[in-house]
Amino acid sequence: MAKVQTMADTRREQKRAYWTLVLPGFLLYLSVMAFPTIFSVILSLTSYNGGKLFGGRPIEMVGFKWYARLIADEYFYRALKNNLWIVLVSVLGQIPLGFFLAYVLYRGLVKGRDFFQTMIYLPTVISTVVIGILWKSFFAPHGAFPELMRLFRPGYEYSMSSHPMLPVLFVILWMYSGMYMIIFIANLQKIDNTIIEAARIDGASEMQILRYVILPALSGVIVVTAILAISGSLKSFDLIYVMTGGGPANRTSVLSIYMFDKAFKGAPNYPLANAISTVMVIISFFLIGLTKFAETRFGGRE
Amino acid sequence: MTGLKKVAVVLLALVMISSSLVAQGTKEDAAKGQITLSVLNYIDMSEPNSANEVRMVWDKFEKENPDIKIVREDLFNEPFHYKTEAYIASGQLPDVVYMWPSGRSTSLHTTGSVKDLMPLLKRDGLVGDYNPAALAPQFSGFLGELPNGITTTHMLFVNKKVLRDNGLKLTTDYNELKKMVSTLKAKGIDLIAMDNMDDWVMQSCLFSMVVGRYGGVDWYDRLDSGAIKFTDDWFVKSLELIDDMYKSGMINRNTLSSPYGASRSSFATGKAAFFIDGDWATGSFMTDITTGDAMISAKAQADDFELLAITNLPGEVVHNSNSGVVGTGWGMSAAIAAGSAKEEAAWRLIKYLQGEYVQTYRLATGASFPSNLKVDVAKVVAEQNLEPFITKRAEYYNEYVPITPVIDGVLHSDVYNVINSGLQEIGLGSKTPRTVAAEVQKAWEAFLKNK
Repeated sequence: MAKVQTMADTRREQKRAYWTLVLPGFLLYLSVMAFPTIFSVILSLTSYNGGKLFGGRPIEMVGFKWYARLIADEYFYRALKNNLWIVLVSVLGQIPLGFFLAYVLYRGLVKGRDFFQTMIYLPTVISTVVIGILWKSFFAPHGAFPELMRLFRPGYEYSMSSHPMLPVLFVILWMYSGMYMIIFIANLQKIDNTIIEAARIDGASEMQILRYVILPALSGVIVVTAILAISGSLKSFDLIYVMTGGGPANRTSVLSIYMFDKAFKGAPNYPLANAISTVMVIISFFLIGLTKFAETRFGGRE
Repeated sequence: MTGLKKVAVVLLALVMISSSLVAQGTKEDAAKGQITLSVLNYIDMSEPNSANEVRMVWDKFEKENPDIKIVREDLFNEPFHYKTEAYIASGQLPDVVYMWPSGRSTSLHTTGSVKDLMPLLKRDGLVGDYNPAALAPQFSGFLGELPNGITTTHMLFVNKKVLRDNGLKLTTDYNELKKMVSTLKAKGIDLIAMDNMDDWVMQSCLFSMVVGRYGGVDWYDRLDSGAIKFTDDWFVKSLELIDDMYKSGMINRNTLSSPYGASRSSFATGKAAFFIDGDWATGSFMTDITTGDAMISAKAQADDFELLAITNLPGEVVHNSNSGVVGTGWGMSAAIAAGSAKEEAAWRLIKYLQGEYVQTYRLATGASFPSNLKVDVAKVVAEQNLEPFITKRAEYYNEYVPITPVIDGVLHSDVYNVINSGLQEIGLGSKTPRTVAAEVQKAWEAFLKNK
């Protein structure tokens, strides 16, 4: 006689299915995200300084010693400031520019949409190292930029002493705006065209269509791109490392390069490097929380 | 079988096959009686003769030593140092490593990652084969690496043709050099080319020599004993000289955006009258044996170029000195068991790399001047008809004495990193020499406290 399925059996089955589906992802998250993060925080409180982690020299807990050193270091603030500049350029530069380009292409305000779309997106698919080397050569003392400037101002000399972050910020803006453009184009295409046509028939101008139809429809996407921009900005490393290595005198350093230098340049200081990475995580949480707050306050009317 | 199970079986099979292939390779090597040595090599593949090194040095060794298999990793500049630190941190250092006697290899010494090679040298009766200065104890207090030679870190390369073309006479006198700036600048030519984007360059290739001139030959000993401080005149004057070089235009501030190695071609093509680097840069201008190409031809080396050092710094207390340090060389991982077959294999490789053949090859290609006394430089130069830069380099070594310490060769990175940054700050005009001196003294005191 077949066994009758009871409520308890169903719940057990649901529980089993739940754990079967959740457990692999949970374990993966624990091993590659949560464990390294927690381990990094623990290391930042120790005296570990190279050699084997287990079975090597004994490791002592030193409290917040490395955090105190971090707070006293002028180059930490310089790196943090540069990171914030990149966040600003990303959120207030890349996203508006990406949206503007997407809007112009989507609304067909220029001819050759496919060509422009490809050209603007191209930097995103080229290796960051290649782009870094290209722009480093462009801004080098005997590179193309000083030569071009001399056409207009004979005797011009490019020097890193004046705003050394400017070339870096320019390249960041140039490189990543295409990615946001593609995100916005994809979402613009989801907006029902008849709504725009109806607005037009009702006499709405291009600006009014943008203000009252398109922007409200994209508020969620704008928040997502802002989160992407913020998290991407805080972990920016490769492009700057190739272009300037954080120099001269840490003028173009960001937190990730600052952390890398502490870990690998000269005698390594791994606890200090881990303290920097912990601070980076805290800043990320804060900025993303700020964005979510902004979304709750001003967005969400999709 | 469910889809998930199928995927799991395929993945498991792939893992097993790849593991067995790796194991198979190791077993095959062992069956052939071969010992596998992992080697971390330092090589700039963009330099002439670099590609040759693989054939002339490494392939030759494997051919002559069929019982040893080399698994070599080639890296250059910062990536090399970063990878070394990662290897040390993970306790996975390759068996044989290219390294410095101190400076950027400090961790190799302080973590006890490499062996003392002196007992092996003594065992094989090879101590007498090497220049005694090259066998001096290193940062770790023992012979952590067997050096290629002695390196001087300041070399003033001179393009005499640029001077001639602009009506200027060859000089190395500091004040005379300063006077040349305006004449050359009017023609869009820099006086001195340097690559100061990498912060160690100014410290190693110019400032260390300057510190020796103002601080004396024994400045480090007196500093270490507490007799002098970084805030004293000798160090402040040294920083002020660098400040003066930037302010007067002797060194263009735009050199701070020039990555290491970038200025060599602009100097060779006459965009600067002088170029400052270490003696190791000589090889980059010489002829590549394979292609026959050279940044500076042998004829131009003889007629238009000189290898010198800056002289007569205002107020210097030591004249004509240069900064020098025991050169780079090869060390052996401390993880290799003493008396094992692997230790013998690694030692055989190091002896070969610092033996007569390889050191003669390095001399001929301009890579280094030999520490091995069996290499007769004059004889090699005459017999192999070596390029003029080799002869000029030999004369240069005799010309500039005494040799004073190189900053990152004697100081800990907690201190020399502050000097490196400070020199760049002076270059940017954002800090005064006195401020930098105070910061260095503070870092030195903190280092002594934590020592």
